[in-house]
Amino acid sequence: MKKRLTVNDLRLAIYDLRFAPVYAFILFLAIMITGCGQTAVSESEREFAGALVNSPQPVPDFTLTSADGPVSLSDFAGKYVFLYFGYTFCPDVCPGTLSNLAAVRQELGEDGDNMQVIMISVDPERDTPEVLEKYVAHFDPTFLGITGSKEEIDAAGEPLGIFYEIHEGSAASGYLVDHTARAFLIDPEGNARVAYPHDAPRDGIVADLKWFLAQE
Amino acid sequence: MKRVSLLVLLLLIVSLAACASSDSAESGEMVIENVQANMAMPSDTGSVWVKITNNTGQDDALIGAEMAGCGAIELHNMFMENDVMIMREVEGGQIPIPAGETVELKQGGLHIMCIGKEAPLELGSSIDVALNFTNAGTMTVSATVVEPGTMNMDGDSGGMKMDN
Repeated sequence: MKKRLTVNDLRLAIYDLRFAPVYAFILFLAIMITGCGQTAVSESEREFAGALVNSPQPVPDFTLTSADGPVSLSDFAGKYVFLYFGYTFCPDVCPGTLSNLAAVRQELGEDGDNMQVIMISVDPERDTPEVLEKYVAHFDPTFLGITGSKEEIDAAGEPLGIFYEIHEGSAASGYLVDHTARAFLIDPEGNARVAYPHDAPRDGIVADLKWFLAQE
Repeated sequence: MKRVSLLVLLLLIVSLAACASSDSAESGEMVIENVQANMAMPSDTGSVWVKITNNTGQDDALIGAEMAGCGAIELHNMFMENDVMIMREVEGGQIPIPAGETVELKQGGLHIMCIGKEAPLELGSSIDVALNFTNAGTMTVSATVVEPGTMNMDGDSGGMKMDN
């Protein structure tokens, strides 16, 4: 048998400290509701699917070569660029990253048009612009594959802390390339914002991009 | 004496019978699961991931594999060192599969590497992979062609049990 609550009971309850957590929760809800429409979580508080670049770093412009001619980072001002350094001989981490980014673009629907994926090959000897074009198109027809001389690749990679080194392989593999396996998200103003590890979850990257788009 | 030789003969028959069926994926209690072939992209390489559980009671090792459409096959490992992804052929060219343990070849780690891939394979299709073990011999299993990426990281989506 439950006792029916009377107005008097409620009045008494207001003074009852046992209800303090309830009041705190109501206050919290009120703040959340009135806070809607504004940014609820600031960048420093938000959890990203990759490592947040502290104080957005402007990425110096660079130009490398695609099968259709030269491509510069500045060509994509106004878009969210995912910059990935890898090589096509790499059997799973590189294609895995591209496959994830293709899924991210698909998941975003129309918003996906605001992103551009660029793979820079650190293995220009095997990855000619033609090889790269065919490779990245397998994942998404909008993806770009570019490369160049060591100097050109370094000009693009060094500001982002990209490391790569050729390591002798077997007779069959010839050589392998050790490389930084992160995809960098560069904002429409050309600042590096997030560095994604190769195993960053797809839905996390989608959520991040939606968050960035909502900030605009 | 007669009884002992009879016992030896019996053991011999049993072990021969075990050998005869060694092409079956579950013989000798070496359990092969989640066989995935990352072979769909147009590039010179590909990889095969597989989960191997050694219930045979004795230590074993994966010493190689065979698959059509590859110029060469090596056993590779990948690891991160100071944020740099490094891929190397495994030490001694073999992957130990200790008795009673499960070794998973999976994305971003150990894998069977196809070098000199002749042509990309169609997603969702199957391809036979022969796994060579020191003790368990050769076991042929069927791999499903998958797209790499975090969807397949756990090795449980699109994975297939052997079909024989």
